[in-house]
Amino acid sequence: MSEKKNVIHVGIDLGTSRSAVSASNGQRHIVDSYVGWPVDMVARKIVKRPVLIGREALDNRSMLDLHRPLERGLLKEGSEKDQEAVRQLLVHLLELAGLGEAARGNAHVRAVVGVPAEALRVNKQQLRTAFSGLVDALLIVTEPFAVAYGIEALLHAMVIDIGAGTTDLCVMKGRYPTEDDQRTLLNAGDWVDEQLERLIAARYPEASISPFMVREWKERYSFVGEPHASVLVNAPVNGKPTELDITDALRAACEGLVPPIAETMLDLVARMDPEYQEKVRHNIVVAGGSAAIRGLDVALSAALQEVGGGVVRTVEDPMFAGSDGGLAIAADAPDADWEKLVV
Amino acid sequence: MRRIDRAKRRILRQAVQDNVATLRGLPPPGLALARPRWKGLLLAASPLLVPGVLVVMALVWASTVGDSAAPAAGNAPAATTPIHQVPPGAVEREPGKPSGSPLESLGAANPDLRLPHPALLDPATLALDVRRIVLDPGHGGDDFGTTGPMGLVEKELTLDVALRTAELLGARGFEVFLTRDGDTSLPLDRRAGVANAMGGDVLVSIHVNWIPNRRARGVETYWLGPTDDPFIKELAAAENRFSGYSLADFRRLLEGIYAGVRKDESRRLAEAVQAELYRSLARLNPALQDRGVKTAPFLVLVATEMPAILAEVSCLSNDEEARLLATGKYRRHIAEALTAGIVAYAQQRAAVARLEGSSQTYE
Repeated sequence: MSEKKNVIHVGIDLGTSRSAVSASNGQRHIVDSYVGWPVDMVARKIVKRPVLIGREALDNRSMLDLHRPLERGLLKEGSEKDQEAVRQLLVHLLELAGLGEAARGNAHVRAVVGVPAEALRVNKQQLRTAFSGLVDALLIVTEPFAVAYGIEALLHAMVIDIGAGTTDLCVMKGRYPTEDDQRTLLNAGDWVDEQLERLIAARYPEASISPFMVREWKERYSFVGEPHASVLVNAPVNGKPTELDITDALRAACEGLVPPIAETMLDLVARMDPEYQEKVRHNIVVAGGSAAIRGLDVALSAALQEVGGGVVRTVEDPMFAGSDGGLAIAADAPDADWEKLVV
Repeated sequence: MRRIDRAKRRILRQAVQDNVATLRGLPPPGLALARPRWKGLLLAASPLLVPGVLVVMALVWASTVGDSAAPAAGNAPAATTPIHQVPPGAVEREPGKPSGSPLESLGAANPDLRLPHPALLDPATLALDVRRIVLDPGHGGDDFGTTGPMGLVEKELTLDVALRTAELLGARGFEVFLTRDGDTSLPLDRRAGVANAMGGDVLVSIHVNWIPNRRARGVETYWLGPTDDPFIKELAAAENRFSGYSLADFRRLLEGIYAGVRKDESRRLAEAVQAELYRSLARLNPALQDRGVKTAPFLVLVATEMPAILAEVSCLSNDEEARLLATGKYRRHIAEALTAGIVAYAQQRAAVARLEGSSQTYE
């Protein structure tokens, strides 16, 4: 009889902007997907750390060689620094979950990680390499599938996972989604940031704004439809702190997401067996960091009117929906299958 | 322990199978390479096919030297006629002299029969089928190829398209080999070596283009030959970077470029593939340009012993095409177009083969 292993399951949503981890020991954490190394000895002396990760890295970015190692939801390639940054990010996530090398003891760690629906095979292989030595076994699934599994929307449902780098749509037909069941769009949170920065710059050409400021404003105030109030922010104009009204710019940038997502959503529905289309239309779920855009689910529901109506709702905890789903998959996968997925 | 319902268990099993396929460098479940259906048939028919081909070759040779004494096909002792057999009395090798090729021996024995140059043989005359396809996903490992504006990398795209094409060709009854099926470095000389060792009937090298004019987009297909076009020279130099060849190979490579034995077949293959690429992809990509069939001295095409082409299946330098390439749907269309082009070429060859008595056809 084999010795019973102390197994810990973990679900990871490795995001372009933020990464989340949910573990079977009860730990749940979110980290900004940034990694930075002090640029010189002086910086190192100030930050007192060889490498900074997440919010700490962002807050000290002027002193750091800052890397965002994921792009469009995938591992960046071509730079050893980016590869090292991914590794540092994974180490940090696991440490936060109490699964660092020292803390985990002899526990056997089995991880499920979500990637964009159309991630190429080579990128999945690279992800396995990045996880090597950090976990004992790894299962890679598509992000919307992880969300669907977590909320048990496995049949006659659609998941729209709007992250920073990609928006992944997946229709669930009671089977592991095939390529035809999924779509990846590059219109996502980062795309909104780009539009917003461009629109603000057009209206206030003298204003000095950075991508980090734009991202923060979007996360705090983003909306689709009618504004509840004017969105007023502060930014230096010719060096002088000035109040800017970004209401229209923010609305336009966020509403730019609606047409491509609605079009793809309707296309996926139209490709389904006709007798199930209505069920799917009434069971569409939005998850991911950008699901927090107020009114987005309502706008997508409105888009369904032209095909007979439907319901789009936002999951209860959009930031953790992917990692919680990954954790559920990890817990349910049989031991025999994990044996095949050793890293 | 958690109770898991049957549907969940089935879905999880499929997810695991998908991962295991990635680990092993195989296509995802459902994309497994089809076993070639013709293999058993070919083995069973080989006692008939080999002598048949030999008879045809002997007839071709006989007609080349204009010898009326060559036996007619219907009367030939097919099973025993070797390729180098010459008409009785025309050639008597002198004792002690080394044996040469049939034509050399012929010329030495009878100066009247010496020919200035043997006419180039049209492979169509030999009724050779296309059965074994070698696909060469460009770049790999440390050689990333070109990179696109959205983090797309040529080496990944070419591998993805090659795996899809392999699956489609396998389903059509072809035997398919890949020069690489994972993210591995492979110098050009080894790619050609693999293709030769596999006994491929054709080689299709798959690449993604990068054009300095970022608005340009389109597909183009190359076969082996010299070029005066500065852009193509630059492109060939870029693709030839990791050649694995040395200066000592220079003469042999030049001979390969100019020998022309495979030229016509490579051109036909390039034309068939280019036509399908443009026809199929233009439906999804209306602004696509047909950049045509061209010649270039790509080294991967030089050292191969079979008709070989290099297809630039899209332009990563164009934002719109990069966006399309990021979708599995477009990559699937590329694979379907490559498959259709190869099948069209194989059907041309099969039509010739049928005229000569072979029965191999493709769906």
